[in-house]
Amino acid sequence: MTASAQLPLADDLFLTAHDTVKGKCLLSPATLGLGMASALIGELVLWRRVDIVDGKIQIIDDRPTGDPAATAVLDQLLREGHHRAVRDWISFLATGVATDLVERRLARSALVQRQEKRGLFGAKVSFVPSDSMIAGWPATRIRTFIGRGELLDIPDLVLAGLILATGLDQHVFVTLEARGRGQLFDQLKRRLPAMLLELVGQAEAAVGDAVMARRA
Amino acid sequence: MSSTATKPPQSQLSTALARDRLGVAAVVFFVMSAAAPLTVVAGVVPTGIAVTELTSISIAFVAVAVVLAIFAVGYVAMARHIANAGAFYAYIAQGIGRPFGVGASWVALLAYNMFQIAAYGGFGAIASPLFDKWFGLDISWWVLALVVWALTAVLGVRDVAVNGKVLATLLVAEIVVVFAFSIADLFSPNFTASSAPVDVTSLAGAGSGALLAMAITGFVGFEQSVVFSEESRDPRRTVPRATYIAISLIAVLYGFAAWAMISGAGPDVVGRAGTEGPDLFFNVASDQLGGRAVDLGYALFLTSLIAAMISFHNIIARYMFSLGREGVLPRAFGRTVPGTGAPKNGSLVQSALGLLVIIVYAIAGWDPLVNLFFWGGSGGGIGVLLLITLTSFAVIRYFVRHPEGEDFWHRLGAPVLGSVLLLVMSYLAISNIATLFGVEPGSKPTWVVPLAFGVLLVAGIAWALILRSSRPHVYAGIGLGARSASSVGGFSAALSSLDEKDKA
Repeated sequence: MTASAQLPLADDLFLTAHDTVKGKCLLSPATLGLGMASALIGELVLWRRVDIVDGKIQIIDDRPTGDPAATAVLDQLLREGHHRAVRDWISFLATGVATDLVERRLARSALVQRQEKRGLFGAKVSFVPSDSMIAGWPATRIRTFIGRGELLDIPDLVLAGLILATGLDQHVFVTLEARGRGQLFDQLKRRLPAMLLELVGQAEAAVGDAVMARRA
Repeated sequence: MSSTATKPPQSQLSTALARDRLGVAAVVFFVMSAAAPLTVVAGVVPTGIAVTELTSISIAFVAVAVVLAIFAVGYVAMARHIANAGAFYAYIAQGIGRPFGVGASWVALLAYNMFQIAAYGGFGAIASPLFDKWFGLDISWWVLALVVWALTAVLGVRDVAVNGKVLATLLVAEIVVVFAFSIADLFSPNFTASSAPVDVTSLAGAGSGALLAMAITGFVGFEQSVVFSEESRDPRRTVPRATYIAISLIAVLYGFAAWAMISGAGPDVVGRAGTEGPDLFFNVASDQLGGRAVDLGYALFLTSLIAAMISFHNIIARYMFSLGREGVLPRAFGRTVPGTGAPKNGSLVQSALGLLVIIVYAIAGWDPLVNLFFWGGSGGGIGVLLLITLTSFAVIRYFVRHPEGEDFWHRLGAPVLGSVLLLVMSYLAISNIATLFGVEPGSKPTWVVPLAFGVLLVAGIAWALILRSSRPHVYAGIGLGARSASSVGGFSAALSSLDEKDKA
């Protein structure tokens, strides 16, 4: 019952980062931002627009992807040609840029909706999955594939990598038994292309960095 | 101006990343807040005078400051070249070797925990008589210690930090109080400018090591300045300047305050320190300032101790997080609570350790001020001194192998000079440990503390050697910290877990 169609990588990660019952975000805004930033860069790698080599982003194709969020990031990369370090880009996009782009993209497809919470210090606006079931789709898909012993495709492998890097696995992979876990790790290791492996590694390092610097 | 014409086009990325860059003042504040001035001046110094019966503490502060400043030359220089600056073991791992690095990381963990737990004892011992005086409540020290322990534990596990502005306000207030009370000492009726605190010959005399070990506790935290190497406005200037400023400020403030207190206390300062303890600092100034100012001083003493506890607890939890990510400690320490980013497991272990020590002291009936606060603090100080000494040698060895980009003074001159001085200081501190603790030479505390550090160092080295043969992937990343891309979070662990399976 892999009910849903696969969404762009960052959208899938955004949904996974939300509680399947209440729709609450499971990550701190800073960590969510790092995840969104890495996922958008990952989308550009999957679109064959950029390569990641030795910690640097190289643009190999400057044509728009047809997707507004990924294209916005590509445009920014083109504008700021003198900055190439992946870590800098992850940090920069994580300042809110990436989360914003992904929220807008998901809102357009009506998968998330704006939620306003009135609190003591004014209203807090956030985007939550419009149906709490939606949030569970991507993780369920990964678990189902793993359960059947099937191979994940590359975008889902990156998604699984980012789930581990952001610490979301403590929520969504807890039900995986040791064998399934071993299979997933094995696929990550053997099938994730080197560039994406590096991207996820950088994402994880950025998450650790944020914790050490008290920004998480 | 012509410079505007050549300025590159405004980069959104650079602007966004530069926004939270820190200046000199911010770094100095951060370093000083870990140093907790009132705790040192009113807590450590009078207790130390009572325990060691030595009074030449001002000159010891100055001497330690000079040595640390020389050490800092190479230290901040190396910080520019390595990742994970701010943790001594990172320098040692990359300068001397990974096994020593792991050993040092474990020694540091013990030393930092000694400081943290010493603070619980100090709070209990100091607050207990105050609650009696202010509210007429007779509460045991350990009850109060457990209250602040619980507060720290709850805030720590939820990762609530004391707001930076609150910390800064407390720090400024503390410095003002220390300074004002010291000025008041000058006008005390008993005041006679004493030469004992600034007696240079004491640094060569018996008990000099005890004085130096006591003084070094006042500086712990200065090493954190380099944490901001990557986040400062100008790494080549901001961090070195902030480090030297913090070291000099600490030396001047503590040295002056100690001198004024000893001079104002009259002829029998050792006897008074013994009977009055931390009250000495407040009592000497009370004639001039009146009870209200003294109460304010006490209140600030307690709040700053609490703020320091919370900050230090967070530093320890993050330190364990970093070690967990590297795989030097169990990987569980490298996990955070996803929703808050709190390094929960390190915090829990620190709290458990603190609880255990408070309970043991309470049951055994040991003195919280001398046996916990002072022994813990100065014992931790010895641990930090040993770490600084090892780090200093690591700096020399690092620059011998990577001489690029630094001049002779930064690479070799200062590090060699600093290493020699630190080696002498370490020797003096260890050989004077009986004087420092105020016990008979050869009695239990004099060998338990150095032995504990030694055992941890050796155990750490052994663990690193085990890692080298069993998990080379983890071994390779030692000393690079959570910031390195080879760290062991969930994802990297997934990858490295297979390395091991593949080999089997």
